Amino acid sequence: MSEKFDPSAFLSKIIGQPVIVKLSSGLEFHGDLQSIDGFMNVVLEDTKEYNKGKLTKTYADAFIRGNNVMYISQA
Amino acid sequence: MSGIAAPNEPLDMIRLSLDEKVYVKLRGAREMVGKLHGYDSHCNVVLGDAVETIYEVDDTTLETKVSTLCGCSKKQTRTNKLQTTTKKSDMLFIRGDSVILISTVSE
Amino acid sequence: MLFFSFFRTLVDQELKNGIEVKGFLKSMDQYLNLKLDNISMITDEVKFPQLVAVRNLFIRGSMVRYIHLNPQSISTDLLQDASRRGK
Repeated sequence: MSEKFDPSAFLSKIIGQPVIVKLSSGLEFHGDLQSIDGFMNVVLEDTKEYNKGKLTKTYADAFIRGNNVMYISQA
Repeated sequence: MSGIAAPNEPLDMIRLSLDEKVYVKLRGAREMVGKLHGYDSHCNVVLGDAVETIYEVDDTTLETKVSTLCGCSKKQTRTNKLQTTTKKSDMLFIRGDSVILISTVSE
Repeated sequence: MLFFSFFRTLVDQELKNGIEVKGFLKSMDQYLNLKLDNISMITDEVKFPQLVAVRNLFIRGSMVRYIHLNPQSISTDLLQDASRRGK
């Protein structure tokens, strides 16, 4: 199995980079991925929260509980 | 667990927030602000001097309730269709499965 | 397991279905299922009249949203230290 198809290798590769985290509720968080674990708990830095495309809130550091995460995308 | 747990793992951020004022976004359009006294790996959390805000578009509950439960006070304000309710609690345990997001708040 | 060993006090409950219960915490297990005795108050007796006569309850842990605690009965310092260690 090639490493570039390994999801967890992808996740550790994008640590420190800007990402978009979308929750199953539809909320989106744009920020720099500081850390992630096997539950998909993530910590983002300089996070902007978007609801239906509108900026709704900003956070310096944001811990997001993994069960809410739909996807993590490289911004 | 799987090999993606970095040496710096997400729960470390919560540990560093102990004894600080934190904002917790919860399911059901609820938010909580309070001092973080405890947590575990499920994101069960204990907050001191917690203030909860509940957002509702529903305007069926117009009566103001006075609850003496544990000395919690309830206040209801109404703005157009969005209604916010705030509740206070001196010490509160939040079950982790309601938690969406935890962030420190600067004062 | 941290919180399993933590609760030993008079507590109030708020459940996800909107019921709020107050009572003495008799026992608790690893899932945070609770047994409450001496239910002294249930909010909204109009909405939940079937609960008025209830004296004790078993509550499935997953139904709990909040547990209000008595600040005097817990040591926040000990709890913070336990949280730091208990990873």
